[in-house]
Amino acid sequence: MSNKTILASALCLFAASLALNSFAQGNPPTSKASGEIATAANKFLATLDDGQRGRVVFDFKDEAQRKRWSNLPATMFKRAGLRMGDLTKPQSDSVLAVLAAALSPQGYEKILQIMQGDEVLRKTDGGGRVIFGREEYYISFLGQPSTIEPWTIQFGGHHLGLNITLVGKQGTLTPSHTGAQPAIYELEGKTVRPLGRETDKAFALISSLDEAQRKQAILGFQMHDLVLGPGRDGQMIQPEGIKGSDLTQKQREMLLDLASEWTGIMHEAVAKAKMEELKQHITETWFAWSGPTEKGSAAYFRIQGPTVIIEYAPQRLGEDPTKHIHTIYRDPTNDYGAKWRTR
Amino acid sequence: MNKIFWCLVGLLLGSFALPSTSQAHRLDEYLQATLVSIEPSEVRLQINLTPGVAVADQVIQLIDHDRDGVISTNEATAYAKLLMRDLSLRLDQRKVELKLISSNFPTPTELRTGSGIIQIEFFAAIGPLPARAHRLILENRHLRALSVYLFNAAPPRSGSVHIARQKRNDSQSTGEIEFTID
Repeated sequence: MSNKTILASALCLFAASLALNSFAQGNPPTSKASGEIATAANKFLATLDDGQRGRVVFDFKDEAQRKRWSNLPATMFKRAGLRMGDLTKPQSDSVLAVLAAALSPQGYEKILQIMQGDEVLRKTDGGGRVIFGREEYYISFLGQPSTIEPWTIQFGGHHLGLNITLVGKQGTLTPSHTGAQPAIYELEGKTVRPLGRETDKAFALISSLDEAQRKQAILGFQMHDLVLGPGRDGQMIQPEGIKGSDLTQKQREMLLDLASEWTGIMHEAVAKAKMEELKQHITETWFAWSGPTEKGSAAYFRIQGPTVIIEYAPQRLGEDPTKHIHTIYRDPTNDYGAKWRTR
Repeated sequence: MNKIFWCLVGLLLGSFALPSTSQAHRLDEYLQATLVSIEPSEVRLQINLTPGVAVADQVIQLIDHDRDGVISTNEATAYAKLLMRDLSLRLDQRKVELKLISSNFPTPTELRTGSGIIQIEFFAAIGPLPARAHRLILENRHLRALSVYLFNAAPPRSGSVHIARQKRNDSQSTGEIEFTID
């Protein structure tokens, strides 16, 4: 037996013992995606100096930082971590690489479009006390990037609050906020609608309901905002609207497809697992609507099931409410990865 | 009484003088979100109040009576009781008395950013209720001219309470919960 063979065998045994040890300690299995996300995050950390690293990484148990996210612009709600506008180009590119690894291609595109929308707002707002723009977004981590230990990526600013908690191959995006203002804009000759797909799918679903189903689904009062938006951690409401068991198979598929606009922001493996979970609970999942049902009008909707809450709320703030939208995505059983953190 | 009247006038006038960024956020509205928890022998109201930037100073004036820039415990309690007087809770047609349990006020500085949330919790003893259908109605008349409301029942913790139906008026300033007790 050659020295090379002995060395290779020893390395294999060492790797196997590490893997066995990991299972023996009850560590969650890892995945390609979790490895890629941790690698991207460590690459980002490597671009920082010690001072920056100290400001971007928080203790995983830091509950104050965990809850420090909002729909509001950074000048109205102070965030911690590192501001995109204070980073060098290689550093901010590294932040985007972390998001690209953690999110699906369409999820990543949505996030970029939300930030670009804020840049459009910066250029058209005419100046004021509130500052908008793509530089006003913040990155922070709770815990160190890992393929085994739990950690969280926080990324947010105006109309964006991503809380991505990862534990091995498992992950959750809840709670997270997406929003858009303007919800439609032109960029390089193209019309951009960051939340366009969810808007269109929701109107398609409400249009598919017959009169009796609409009577159940449509709430007879105005919805002025999200009920369980930022700052409402731990609260839960009684479901209303039409129950999944009262929808046709086709309508249930449409409801799941609508929900996929939030679950599908995460990378494929996590999104797929979450969608399977929603499918299991589809007959216990409710769909509620408030407002006109004509496509293009301003209407609120809510999807609520045992492991999901999604709300979509146009904002009536002295402008066309269809151009300013807030949404929230929660899992009442697993916000911030609660069920994995308590094990 | 006069002080409250002039504060309300100020609130109304303030709503016409918004900064240029008023298009961006709820600045000129006072969001009052109520979560109603019903258990066999009690009702709890968790009310989250979020004044927008343009009305925050006027709301603070209602709270910070001595204008020292600090919301004292007495001032917090006084405001919570002012809100309580504007609430009317009825169970099966009879008026139910509310008691203040707790309140949490952000600093005036935080309230002025539009992100500060005042949290006030009330309690009402209602039982034990007989096993049958019941109806609870909450009316909120607090700062009506400026406010927008959200009204929701929380899922009951007790397995013997079942929410049958929720109804609201168009603005959600009045909400009704039909429920049964096993």
